[in-house]
Amino acid sequence: MKWIALEALLLEPDAQRSITFEPALNHQQFCRQALQLAGYFAAHRIQRVAIHLDDAAELAIALFAAWQASVTVLLPADAQPQTRARLASQTDLWLDALPDTQGCTPAQSSPLATDACLLTLCTSGSSGEPKLIDKTLAQLANEVAALEQLWGSEIGSAAVISSVSAQHIYGLLFRVLWPLCAGRVFLRQTLPFSEDMQRASLPHSAFIWVASPALLKRTSDNLDWSALSRIRKIFSSGGALPEEAAAYLQARLQQFPTEIYGSSETGGIGWRQGGQHWQPFAGVAISRNPQGALSLTSSYLPAGHREETADAVQIEADGRFLLGARLDRIIKLEEKRISLPMLENTLIQHPWVTDARVGVRQLGRAVVGALIALSPAGLHALRNQGRRATTQALRTHLSSHVEPIALPRQWRLYTELPYNSQGKLAQSRIEQLLAAQRPTQVLPDSIEQTTDGLLIKLQVPVDLAHFSGHFSRAPVVPGVVQIDWALHLARQLIADLPPRFTGMEVLKFQQLMRPGDRVQLSLRFDANRSKLYFSFTNSNAPCSSGRILLAQHA
Amino acid sequence: MSELQHEIKNLIIDSLGLEDMSAEDIATDQPLFGDGLGLDSVDALELGLAIQKRFGIKIDAEDKDTRQHFANVANLAAFVSARQAV
Repeated sequence: MKWIALEALLLEPDAQRSITFEPALNHQQFCRQALQLAGYFAAHRIQRVAIHLDDAAELAIALFAAWQASVTVLLPADAQPQTRARLASQTDLWLDALPDTQGCTPAQSSPLATDACLLTLCTSGSSGEPKLIDKTLAQLANEVAALEQLWGSEIGSAAVISSVSAQHIYGLLFRVLWPLCAGRVFLRQTLPFSEDMQRASLPHSAFIWVASPALLKRTSDNLDWSALSRIRKIFSSGGALPEEAAAYLQARLQQFPTEIYGSSETGGIGWRQGGQHWQPFAGVAISRNPQGALSLTSSYLPAGHREETADAVQIEADGRFLLGARLDRIIKLEEKRISLPMLENTLIQHPWVTDARVGVRQLGRAVVGALIALSPAGLHALRNQGRRATTQALRTHLSSHVEPIALPRQWRLYTELPYNSQGKLAQSRIEQLLAAQRPTQVLPDSIEQTTDGLLIKLQVPVDLAHFSGHFSRAPVVPGVVQIDWALHLARQLIADLPPRFTGMEVLKFQQLMRPGDRVQLSLRFDANRSKLYFSFTNSNAPCSSGRILLAQHA
Repeated sequence: MSELQHEIKNLIIDSLGLEDMSAEDIATDQPLFGDGLGLDSVDALELGLAIQKRFGIKIDAEDKDTRQHFANVANLAAFVSARQAV
């Protein structure tokens, strides 16, 4: 198929040129719909439009309509209510379905203005505030032209099948704009499973995948690998693909996935196909800044603009480069960029929270975990509604601000966060605390020797492991745990306690012990009878008491 | 709730690291994704692998209803029984 430059895509409608299928759309229909919608934008005096469309062909129609009508497009990364509310002041129209354009006079086609900033991408900035990034059509056109230059002949007329959203720069370029210019058909839907990708692919004599590590590292082993080996190219972007996943695919498809490194801010920076080293794209000049991070100028950026990344880099003599960790607190979670400060700031806004720190744990998948210092209101909620209701309320609070993937799944609750003596809580420590089991024991606040024993002051941990099941809606310290605490502390504090537990006497439970309660434990060991007397009291009201019978080894 | 549904609920809780949840907290017809249990697209992938591994079944790549099978626990249980019967 003949290459059509991005700015010329609406000029010569061609009914022989396919855009997509199911339902089919050819270039002539595409141009007609885009010009019609451009007429609609003009008639309604729209100047800025936010577009959030799942169907990649509809997204393409809306984009080109807007650009033809000189309407600036905002591409939000998600359609969360908070995102919509935040962007409302900057747009005249939120488009999540194509409007009925009947009766509108179609716009006249003309070459699109390449130097105007007609696309704004939204992403998470390092401050936690979402960041808006303007692109000119020239930047986008340069990028798709470079991709075609590199891989066009290899891909030929392959159909483009994708698992990534076209709302992001990678999906937008690779599964919409590049195929449009090259005359390759692309699938309308974003496919969640590798099985879906296979089913969509096999009817085509040639196909490529525009995918991400999230999918590629979880391809199931029952795919029809021999049929799939017709694949011309597998693209992966959004984060590094683990070496094992790359090797697994190479063994089955006789090719390594082609990984793309870049971001909304930078555009494409480099690529690699197997191995550790990245090759910069032709129009990209990289260097290492004094902080050790990658810095670049590029024909996909405004002329003369230098973009600083937060990715640690090592540049080899041959111009290729290796990437290290990110140097800020923005993390990639299954390709989604998550700002940890933003999550923390949002959590702290909740009345139950006085302080919050978040980190990531790698389970089967990566999950976000949060350390929360509860306010008195938060402690009240925990005591009266239970742990699950408390953490669920915090998730709900966050869910209107962030995508589901960023919602914490693991929680550690405190009255004060465990800062070290320098007032620091390192990211590595946060992750350790998330990985550790929740407490089962209690640490004394003070220990006092009295005439007949010990008086120990302690606070019931707010996040005792036993609270999860006992009881889910009203956490209390189980009686058996109280006895365990008494015996455990007695063994630490009283010398020569007989080692063997043989039974209990006159056990009484009178008042519940709940998260955060400050209680007193008195311990007295009667050596003659070999009995340990214990009692827990809360502001002089008895909680529990009894005698633990001990004996020497039989 | 059938034994299979119960097992699937526990599998979801364990494989996706859901804290403070028990099988009783997941309604059999509750949507797993989006506004229901709040699982995301990565969970769908993880769950797909976990289900295939646990029950020794295959997700058929010819099957157009994969999304539907993963909509809730009832559908998943029906899907697992059907595949096990094959």
